[in-house]
Amino acid sequence: MLNSFRTLLTQNPDRRLRSLLFFILFYLYIWLEVDTRLIYHGAGAISDFPVFFRGWTFFHRFTSYPGGILEYLCALLSQFLYIGWAGALVLTLQAWLLSLCTDYLFKAVNLPRLRCLRFVPPVLLLITYTRYTYHFATTTALLISLLSVCLYLTATQKAKLSRLIVFLVLSVFVYTIAGGAYLLFALVCAIYELLFARRCWFALVYLLSAIVIPYAGGVLVFDVSIIDAFTNLLPVSWKIFEYENYKKILIIVSALYLFAPSVLLVSGLCRSFFITHAQPLNQPNAPKARPHKPTKKKRGSKFSRLRSRILSWYSGAPIIKWSVESCLLFVLVGAVIFFSRDIKKKALFETDFYAARRMWPQVLAAAPKHPNSYYIVHAVNRALYHTGRMPYDLFRFYQSPDTLFLTAAEHRESYFKKFDIFLDLGHVNMAEHELTESLATDGRRPLILKRLALANIAKRTIHTARVHLSALGKTLFDADWATDYLQQLRSDPTFTLPADHEIQRLRRYMPVQDYGFSPMPFEHILLDLLKKNARNRMAFEYLMSSYLLTGELGKLIQNLHRLDDFDYTQIPPLYEQALLLYMHKEKKPVDLHGRQISQLSRQRFENFKKVYAFYGGNKEAAFQSLANAHGDTFFFYSTYGLSGLKK
Amino acid sequence: MTKRRRYILLFAGLIILAACVLTQLAAGAKVTIGQPRPVGRPPRIRPDYQGAVIPPNIAPLNFLIQEEGSLYYVKISSKQGKPVEVVTESPKILIPEGPWHRLLSMNRGAQLAFDVFVKDKNGRWNAFSTLTNTVAQESIDNYLVYRKIHPAHGVWNDMGIYQRNLQTFDETTILDNSYFKRGCLNCHAFCSNRTDRMLIGIRSKKYGSSAILTKDETVANIRTKFGYTTWHPSGRLAAYSINYVGQFFHSARDEVRDVIDLDSFVAYYSLDSRQVKTSPDLARKGRLETYPAWSPDGRYLYFCSASIWWADRKKMIPRNYHQIKYDLLRISYDINTDTWGTLETVLSAHDTGLSVLEPRISPDGRWLLFCMCSYGCFPVYQQTSDLYLMNLHAEQTGQYEYRRLDINSDQSESWHSWSSNSRWIAFSSKKDYGVFTRSYLSYVDAEGKVYKPLLMPQKDPEFYDACLETYSVPELVTEPVKVQGEKLGRVVRSWRKITVEMPITMATPEAGEEPGYEPWQQRE
Repeated sequence: MLNSFRTLLTQNPDRRLRSLLFFILFYLYIWLEVDTRLIYHGAGAISDFPVFFRGWTFFHRFTSYPGGILEYLCALLSQFLYIGWAGALVLTLQAWLLSLCTDYLFKAVNLPRLRCLRFVPPVLLLITYTRYTYHFATTTALLISLLSVCLYLTATQKAKLSRLIVFLVLSVFVYTIAGGAYLLFALVCAIYELLFARRCWFALVYLLSAIVIPYAGGVLVFDVSIIDAFTNLLPVSWKIFEYENYKKILIIVSALYLFAPSVLLVSGLCRSFFITHAQPLNQPNAPKARPHKPTKKKRGSKFSRLRSRILSWYSGAPIIKWSVESCLLFVLVGAVIFFSRDIKKKALFETDFYAARRMWPQVLAAAPKHPNSYYIVHAVNRALYHTGRMPYDLFRFYQSPDTLFLTAAEHRESYFKKFDIFLDLGHVNMAEHELTESLATDGRRPLILKRLALANIAKRTIHTARVHLSALGKTLFDADWATDYLQQLRSDPTFTLPADHEIQRLRRYMPVQDYGFSPMPFEHILLDLLKKNARNRMAFEYLMSSYLLTGELGKLIQNLHRLDDFDYTQIPPLYEQALLLYMHKEKKPVDLHGRQISQLSRQRFENFKKVYAFYGGNKEAAFQSLANAHGDTFFFYSTYGLSGLKK
Repeated sequence: MTKRRRYILLFAGLIILAACVLTQLAAGAKVTIGQPRPVGRPPRIRPDYQGAVIPPNIAPLNFLIQEEGSLYYVKISSKQGKPVEVVTESPKILIPEGPWHRLLSMNRGAQLAFDVFVKDKNGRWNAFSTLTNTVAQESIDNYLVYRKIHPAHGVWNDMGIYQRNLQTFDETTILDNSYFKRGCLNCHAFCSNRTDRMLIGIRSKKYGSSAILTKDETVANIRTKFGYTTWHPSGRLAAYSINYVGQFFHSARDEVRDVIDLDSFVAYYSLDSRQVKTSPDLARKGRLETYPAWSPDGRYLYFCSASIWWADRKKMIPRNYHQIKYDLLRISYDINTDTWGTLETVLSAHDTGLSVLEPRISPDGRWLLFCMCSYGCFPVYQQTSDLYLMNLHAEQTGQYEYRRLDINSDQSESWHSWSSNSRWIAFSSKKDYGVFTRSYLSYVDAEGKVYKPLLMPQKDPEFYDACLETYSVPELVTEPVKVQGEKLGRVVRSWRKITVEMPITMATPEAGEEPGYEPWQQRE
């Protein structure tokens, strides 16, 4: 088989060059456009991305079920997605091997015209990546199956007995390594035997083996559930199907699985029905393909003569032919990718990725690609706070009262998106709660383990922190970070860690008075944080922002005195706008604690009123003009419930 | 690759292999200590097995020496038999199973000495003070069944009930939630330390709530959810609690999680009649009843009970939740006539000032082991939870005498069980790994003295350091669970279930109504 693959690689330099070009572009697209780091990060949307820990204990659990070994290997390889170029290399290698197997398969069953379809599996794979889903283990299981089919096909020249032995040996191997993907192997082999080699008994035995081997291996040997015995690692596995956001893309993964067997089945059937004298492959007396008999040329019109001249010129100009075919391929692939990519989802992944790394300017830059997503606005609000812009630019972006803490019912289980806000605020127990839930839903990701370790160090629950750190110490990329903290904890018996700013910050802000909550309004949480530490600026700005977003201006005014606890040189403009509106509506003055409302805010309010009056107080009519001039103000948000509209 | 290159590679491979073999042989060879320098203190080891009473049938107590060195030599010896010697370059001391078991079996009741020598950077051997353990006369039950789950709050991923052969390091799955699409399983209960009767509580979105009943080799699915379960020693019925649980969180406590029973009562299931029944005293209006435990003679059912003062039994969190304290009660029962006697208070929360929970009586009927914590019904979430022992055979003076055990730590101790010979207890503790509960084993002598707990040993002494799962509800059993894995999984998934009618005499639920459950309800 190696020789066959070698031949595939060495013959047809034009095909090789096209493949090389295709996979170079594939690699560059994955690396630079898709960015595998985003898939590794997961953004709370990829919940089945595997973790990998060094050591026997972690490996051991993968040996207890069919397909476990492949899952272990995929878990290891998937870690390279953490590094953009390396991740792209892994994914490109997988796509290339899939393409190679498909090519070999079509060549082996004498379907040379279909070999151009070798690019279909990589394109389908690419679609799954451009839509930010993770199916690496499922698609690698497919690869193992196809590789095994290729291995099997090399045995077609052997005697009947050895063919069966090869099939059985490969069956045990494929089932143990790739679990349910074995079904594909058995199916393709059966199709081949039935339609191409015309050995019905073999086909029947192979189809039967698709039932017997998973049952015997899965249920009787590995003692897994009968459902897992047949479906583990297949796109129809419940382990994949339970993720709601994967259901759409599963069509693509299923297409990837069904591609080779369907092509073989259709072409095999065509061969059987339409070519009456078709001979089975590899039969000693099988006649060689008859050369095309030159047919009598019909006298044609000028147009047909021109067409044949062009075609003959085209066939005689290999460079042009190669260029045209390649261009066609790349245009087709480009179109597929263009229409299948999910820009909004990418923005979602990007903002979450940058927010997790506290790269605030990048968060704000990525957000406009999908400005109405609550998740993105949630990240934007954190970015606004951390760049000191929250009381100034809050309404430059789309806002809703639910975006601050993702309080809407549909975001109840978005634990991955929530833990950082509580760590930022210093509410360590709330953060620990969200982190623990996220650990259960998103897996034992290093990012979560790190935060859990920090939260527990801040709380001085060191026994718990040590377990998180030790687990992190077994990961590939965060071991040094964990080892460093473990060393610090060993050398500091009081666990004070005075030089660790993050720990000190958390300890400064975390609540000390214990009470039970289930659930608690966020206003209470923020007030409680301010009670612990009046200088918790984030708690203050989030509290004021929540009052702005809910329109509770009375409460905003009650908390205005807290400005004195911070270094604001003047009342931030959005608070000024709220004060002006409140005074205008209530027709009474507000105690500004010795501060003044700026002239600029007053002017903007006057202008807002003037434009509004210009349209005779007609809200709908004034909308566009007000949006253009005041779409980033509290005046506008208060009037229309919308924001982020200023041009 | 040329032939020559292949030969070179083969030769190099052989040399590396030989070097590895020789290194291993050298490591296993006897070392000459000469005149070691006495250190004058015992070595620091982890887990801390020093000074414990150990079961004669326990797996090797592998440990990690936390002393710097280039070579480690450990000699394990006792009165009789050949000492076990371990020489290794790694500070991990992995004791060979065969010699270890031979040594222990020959020295029941004797001291076991661990002499530790460490070769320092300068090539000098340092001798540490001898570590000693005592090998108990009585064996511990061979198997420990526990649940493994990550310290979940409201959601979970993988969880399962596993059995560990305590003589070896073998762990097998009895049932995990991969068999029924990541549902929840808990509350495993056995009859008199045997595995021919087993109950496991199941909750699943897809397959519903049920209790999996194993009777000898047959498995049945009872269409109702069992809470905390206790088998009558006859094996003919099982009493269990039905709890309406609410979860909440703490703003500044070390343990973030907390739970409360908003309503609960005790019922019992008869295997013969396939009926669920209760008694008015087990389901009083205005009281919460939970944690049933049969006395070994089957004549008494012990359980915990607290009063309810909140009107809305679905509202979280009831005011003054931190004042809910459970009493320990018991009620007599005659299985032949299926009649219940009068209710007695064994220990009142009013007297103890603490909430009394999880009573478990030793199979010889002498000792009652229970938890007490500052409030509530879920000791594993209460840092104040400690284990207490009451002598049930002591002269009755109107008040049962009890004492707090020395094995307690400043963290939660809970979920205890007895071995069949009443000489060993297994329990959960957070003392060494915080929120990651681990299982410990302790020896109980004839006078009720409980000895230093032993962390359930693992082959890799550093195993627990990075283990992100909790090991809890450890139940000691004498034999392995025979029906397991897909055999149980198939029954969980089956739609053939034993339907039971709920009795109308219960405290809160209406007749025929399935009691409600919070999604998180589980044991950790």
